[in-house]
Amino acid sequence: MRAISRPLAVPAVAFVLLLVAGVALFWTSRHSLAQQHRRLAAAQADRRHVAERLLRIGHEEREVRDHVELYQRLKDLRILGDERRLEWVEALARIRAARELLDLRYQVERQKVLKTLPGSPAGFELRSSSMNVELALLHEGDLLRFLEDLRISGNAYYSVRQCTLTRVGPAPSAGSLAPRLRGICQIDLITLSEGKAGA
Amino acid sequence: MAGQLLLYFTAAGHTLYRWRGGRLLLEGNFSADDAGAAGFREYLKGREGALAQIVADVGGEDFHEDQIPYLRGAERQAVIDRRLAQRYRDARLATALSLGYVADERRNERLLLASFNDARQFVPWLEVLEKARVRLAGVFSAPLLAPALAARLGVKSGVCLVMSANRAGLRQCFLDNGRLRFARLERIAERGFTSVFVRTETERMLQYLGTLHALPRNGPPLRVLLVVADEERAHFERTLGRGAGLAFTTISLSEAARKTGLRVAPEGSAAEQLYLQIAALQPPREQFLRGEDRRRFLTWRVQRSIVAAGTAGFVTCGAYAATLWLEQLVVRERIESVKIDTAQARDQLERVRARFPAAPTTIENLKSTALEFRGIAARSASPEDALEHVSRALDRSPQIELDALTWSAGSEPPQTLEISGRVSATRRSDYRAVTEVVQRFSALLAGDPAWRIVSMRLPFDVSPDGVLSGGTGAGAESSDAPRFAISIARTKG
Repeated sequence: MRAISRPLAVPAVAFVLLLVAGVALFWTSRHSLAQQHRRLAAAQADRRHVAERLLRIGHEEREVRDHVELYQRLKDLRILGDERRLEWVEALARIRAARELLDLRYQVERQKVLKTLPGSPAGFELRSSSMNVELALLHEGDLLRFLEDLRISGNAYYSVRQCTLTRVGPAPSAGSLAPRLRGICQIDLITLSEGKAGA
Repeated sequence: MAGQLLLYFTAAGHTLYRWRGGRLLLEGNFSADDAGAAGFREYLKGREGALAQIVADVGGEDFHEDQIPYLRGAERQAVIDRRLAQRYRDARLATALSLGYVADERRNERLLLASFNDARQFVPWLEVLEKARVRLAGVFSAPLLAPALAARLGVKSGVCLVMSANRAGLRQCFLDNGRLRFARLERIAERGFTSVFVRTETERMLQYLGTLHALPRNGPPLRVLLVVADEERAHFERTLGRGAGLAFTTISLSEAARKTGLRVAPEGSAAEQLYLQIAALQPPREQFLRGEDRRRFLTWRVQRSIVAAGTAGFVTCGAYAATLWLEQLVVRERIESVKIDTAQARDQLERVRARFPAAPTTIENLKSTALEFRGIAARSASPEDALEHVSRALDRSPQIELDALTWSAGSEPPQTLEISGRVSATRRSDYRAVTEVVQRFSALLAGDPAWRIVSMRLPFDVSPDGVLSGGTGAGAESSDAPRFAISIARTKG
């Protein structure tokens, strides 16, 4: 047995070595190929992602332009930032004088936070102050012009919630400036500013 | 030096050839005595591990037909060994060729036992080979190689006599359906290799085969395949032909060599070159060398098989790895292509981004601010439209005078307007006219599809569910104008 096995030992070792080398070669190639396939999948996913971004970017560009325009308008109207009560008071006085309104009374309530904007990293908060305005009017057109002037004056976004027009006296005689109507309006003065967390 | 050694063994002397890729090269001639053996020993010095075969072409070869029971494997081999030992005194160089099975119930196997009458002539030469540690693959005789040669020359079935003019003499091998049945060697006399000699010897063979009942009775003429030197072929073909129960086919040595695949043979070698070529290229399983004498060769063959199996495994794995590697190259190219595409798309993206307007804040802030204010603007309403709508209806209703208007913004309905007023320039007692004026005013308000009537309170409740009170006559007339209230809502934002 030993006489047979001795001459076969070297070929047997060669056989094992060759087989191990072959299997190692095969395994290495397979492993490397799997790695390349993974790299290909990653590269394809990256390309798909960039292609999708490219498809969306045109739309985003238009969207951003629109947003920037609106944002700029809001900024120009000083709607963005902390509320400016003094500016409001001055604006009301200015409008009353310009429109020669006979009487104008107002009361601005405490400011409330309406909501925190979702997706805003700065934690922007939408805040509102409710204002009650009472006006003595010659006719209903005075109310409409008052509201228009208020909007143009800026410093907040003016959202009219309710307006009541009541007749207060008979039709005035020629040359008389007695008020004929009383207008009472409830208006929300909305501003947008950074929240306390973001501040 | 590559290739295998072939020792052509004859009674007169031995010739050593080296065979390599269909080329037979002369290595040396050795006399059949001790001096020749010594020369052979000298030649083999330093050729340890060489592969060698002996092709014997000697007279005195014994062929004996026998039968053994139907057996397989080791049992069959044991019976054959016993029969060979019984038949031959020196069974060291003996073999048994299967001739098939007897067609009866017992299905005995027919064997052709073959050996040399004098095996001692081989002993010194085998010892030389053994001492030189040469791997001796086998000892063949020309008859053992004849079936393969006949097949190469186109005879694979039927009975046939293969004859060739070898250096040792005229070799005659009788084959039955591609199996050796009998063979003999006749020395070529001094008068030479003539057609008369060939015919005479063939007829002697025919007579002997007749005594053995080896030829079918009243069968066709026995086919005789004769290989002769190229220059003698025409002569033999003309003089032999057919007759006396024999059908000669003469083949030139060069044509036979071509058919066996032998490309180069030494100058002066005769038809033995064909047998040597068969021994090297297509050695039959049956040969004379047995047992321990083949150990070195068998070990070498097992060693080679093991290494060959390992190499085959390595090559298979390597080939598969190579295909994977090629696939990898393709995948790499695809990755590069995808990366180039991605880089181009990314450049394009950057160019588009560069065109973006300068944003006063982050995109997210912009987006959320714009969306929120657009939502507020969409939900917010203004009283202008409502007042204008009422104003248009009033213009067409001169009897109507309004006392109060209350406009409200909400979510559903988005706007509501409560109108209270009175009907003037109509007698209070004229209920029908007063009702008609209010209803006409209400119809004007509802004339715009954007508005709908929510509720209406007439100066007089004329509905079946209400309470109607009043009077007629002078006392019933009042100075107060009849009052009404209408509530309308905007159906569309």
